[in-house]
Amino acid sequence: MPAAFLKTAVLNEAAERATLEPTWERPSGIVGWFTTTNHKDIATRYIITAFVFFGLAGILAMCMRIQLAFPENTFLTPDRYNQFFTVHGMTMMFLFAVPIMEAMAIYLVPLMIGTRNVAFPRMNAFGYYTYLFGGILLYVGLFLNIGPDTGWFSYVPLAGPQYSPGKRVDFWSQMITLTEIAALVSAVEVIVTVFKQRAPGMSLNRIPIFVWAMVVAAFMTIFAMPAIMLGSGMLAMDRLTHVSTHFFNPAEGGDALLYQHIFWFFGHPEVYIIFIPATGFVSTIIPTFARRKIFGYPVLVLALISIGFIGFGLWVHHMFATPVPELGQSFFTAASMMIAVPSGIQIFCWLATLLTGKPQIKTPLLFVLGFIALFVFGGLTGVILASVSLDLQVHDTFFVVAHFHYVLIGGAVFPLFGAIYYWFPKWTGRMLSEGLGKLNFWLFFIGFNLTFFPMHVLGLKGMTRRVYTYTYDAGWGTMNLIATIGAAVMGVSVLIFLYNVFISRRSGTLAGDNPWNASTLEWAASSPPPNYNFTFPPAVQSRDPLWDEDSLIRVIGLKSNKRMALLTTIMEGAPDHHYEFPEDSIWPLVLALVVGGGFTWAIFSPWAIPVSALVTFIVFCFWFWRGNEPKSLTSQGQKHRLQPKLAVKPKAA
Amino acid sequence: MTKTVLDVSELPHAVLDHRSPVWWGNLLLLCIETAMFALVIGALFYIRQNFTEWPPPKVDELPVVYNPVPFLNISTLNLVLILASCVPMAWVDRACLKRQEFSVTLGMIVVILCGAAAIALRFMEFGSLIFKWNANAYASTVWFILGLHLLHLFTGTLELGLLLSWLMIKGLDVKHARDIRVTAIYWYWIAGIWLLLYVIIYWTPR
Repeated sequence: MPAAFLKTAVLNEAAERATLEPTWERPSGIVGWFTTTNHKDIATRYIITAFVFFGLAGILAMCMRIQLAFPENTFLTPDRYNQFFTVHGMTMMFLFAVPIMEAMAIYLVPLMIGTRNVAFPRMNAFGYYTYLFGGILLYVGLFLNIGPDTGWFSYVPLAGPQYSPGKRVDFWSQMITLTEIAALVSAVEVIVTVFKQRAPGMSLNRIPIFVWAMVVAAFMTIFAMPAIMLGSGMLAMDRLTHVSTHFFNPAEGGDALLYQHIFWFFGHPEVYIIFIPATGFVSTIIPTFARRKIFGYPVLVLALISIGFIGFGLWVHHMFATPVPELGQSFFTAASMMIAVPSGIQIFCWLATLLTGKPQIKTPLLFVLGFIALFVFGGLTGVILASVSLDLQVHDTFFVVAHFHYVLIGGAVFPLFGAIYYWFPKWTGRMLSEGLGKLNFWLFFIGFNLTFFPMHVLGLKGMTRRVYTYTYDAGWGTMNLIATIGAAVMGVSVLIFLYNVFISRRSGTLAGDNPWNASTLEWAASSPPPNYNFTFPPAVQSRDPLWDEDSLIRVIGLKSNKRMALLTTIMEGAPDHHYEFPEDSIWPLVLALVVGGGFTWAIFSPWAIPVSALVTFIVFCFWFWRGNEPKSLTSQGQKHRLQPKLAVKPKAA
Repeated sequence: MTKTVLDVSELPHAVLDHRSPVWWGNLLLLCIETAMFALVIGALFYIRQNFTEWPPPKVDELPVVYNPVPFLNISTLNLVLILASCVPMAWVDRACLKRQEFSVTLGMIVVILCGAAAIALRFMEFGSLIFKWNANAYASTVWFILGLHLLHLFTGTLELGLLLSWLMIKGLDVKHARDIRVTAIYWYWIAGIWLLLYVIIYWTPR
């Protein structure tokens, strides 16, 4: 058997870099821009695009808060208000929260496991362009005043052909399908990359918790996202003239509750697809700033995996106000409370790490501390909502709005800001300003609580969700005004953040490779990392290699005149074989345009499906054929032809 | 400065089995597709609760059909064909391991012909259904399941066609031998899931 072996050697970094640079360089100019398949290029675009959508959804939220600031306000018309809350919710869920977590994974996972790119770089680029197309489609709809207006979950019968004629809801369903294609693509990327491309020696019990979190979220994506694609597809077919199926039409034996089941079978795991990566940020940031290894690594990993499983058994708790059988209600109440156990375990592990370490209160840790406070609070209202009787009382009120903003902003956006402060130096080579960071945090924390805490009370007082205004004598004016002021404070805080990013990118303090003195492999690459990430990819012997090992073992013997990576075995991370990445290509972009164009056309005509499927196949042929020459094979002798045996000579021991 | 290094230069450059990334990518794709079918099957049984007669009688035009169960003849023939196509596919799979280019080519042609025949039979299956997709929720779901599976028949057959043309123009290299083996797994899945769907669509209403 051929084998990898340890030896001592003198590494000539300069010579290696001289050949790696041209191999990994992306073509210059606009061609390079559209053909790049480097995971860092794609992820950076993903992150920036997701933040643009975050800003747009924030502006919509601000408009809604202005409308609700005073009773009987007329800032927005009821119709515009409906479109705004729908597009706000859709953007935050489908165009911001899920994609930005995927983007962080696409950027960081290859670096953290010590490899050079994701497993299928072209698919990765395709995923990004599909997502971008879906996002643009939604906002084109909104700006043409035909944005969806039926809520982010678009329940039938309201969203069905009878009560929502026109094309508004179709923008909802096609945007969903496009963004979920992107989500599925990146989930497959992450899992295969982590399974096959880890640094030699990185066995399962040495994988950074962040990477574990991304794998669990990716698996959840794989089993949850098909549900929403199916649901939105079925809704689109019900709505499309000449197709007019009856999946959700009660008059012909269809079922509106079936839609809710399909939607929430996706919708609840979705919350964890957002939240689990955020816990990954937390589990990474805490040990670095507590200056000790994470407490309870195996328990944390098992907690993540069990959340991944239990997360699929909760969906009916969104449907307690529908005629679900009582046994079903009890089951889903129990499961909903059960998920508090692994979540609680994680929180205790984090607290134990902080309490037994020497915490340094830098901005990333500040955001994590804010997360712990807010998430515990939001978790508690979650336990309240898991109870059927209490849920019925506050169903569809602002209490629910308050709850899910506490878990989603508190549980995901706070850690995300922390993560951006934490990894910004890796991405740009410069630190974000600490002073502005702290101001950013405190304004966001105060603004957030001002906005959402009063909503609990408003909900208990009976203010329902999705009303565009309320009367003077309802007595909700003061608290709504406070919430609006809070939203403005949050807005200022986000502007400070953007300003911080803008100035620090140019003139921030130079970071160096490892400014926080952290333990994981991404800090072994330079800041920003070169296209090939590592001149000599690392091997690891422990869970926290940069803390435990004086000098990393480096991998040699990969060809540097081709885009190569080392593949390892799934369990032990033992060196297995060489892997050549494909060249840059324009076809991912073209395919995304075809798929996006096809789904857009399908809003109007069923013929879009066969025609765009045909064009998709043609484009796919080009994708497959062009630039698909396996260089490392052609160089082995006979061009393209297979050798009688694989060209491997046995290794003398 | 001397360092400890891990020399991997002697490791192979391509493998033909589950150690390659594309094998895993395909497996995860199949997880996605299986989840999709599981949900559609769930939807079918969920909708069934809304009907006292299953399948619902066809009353929109004369003559009224009280029990419009889908016919078994074409569908069973198609099932047998799809399952039988796994034999040449397995043969191709084996031949890829031994890198017998002629056997691979021949076997793939047989599988592609089977795939094309299965697609043609599927269109006849649609034609033999007594109800149209827009008759009621039952009809919509049955058409949808048949259509979703048809989509996979198309994908599998076209993918094999593409690989075959590579094979005939450029010859069988390791990378594409592996791709053919991975496509074989996809093909077995298409056949396996159809066995389940066939029983559900054609036998559970009887």
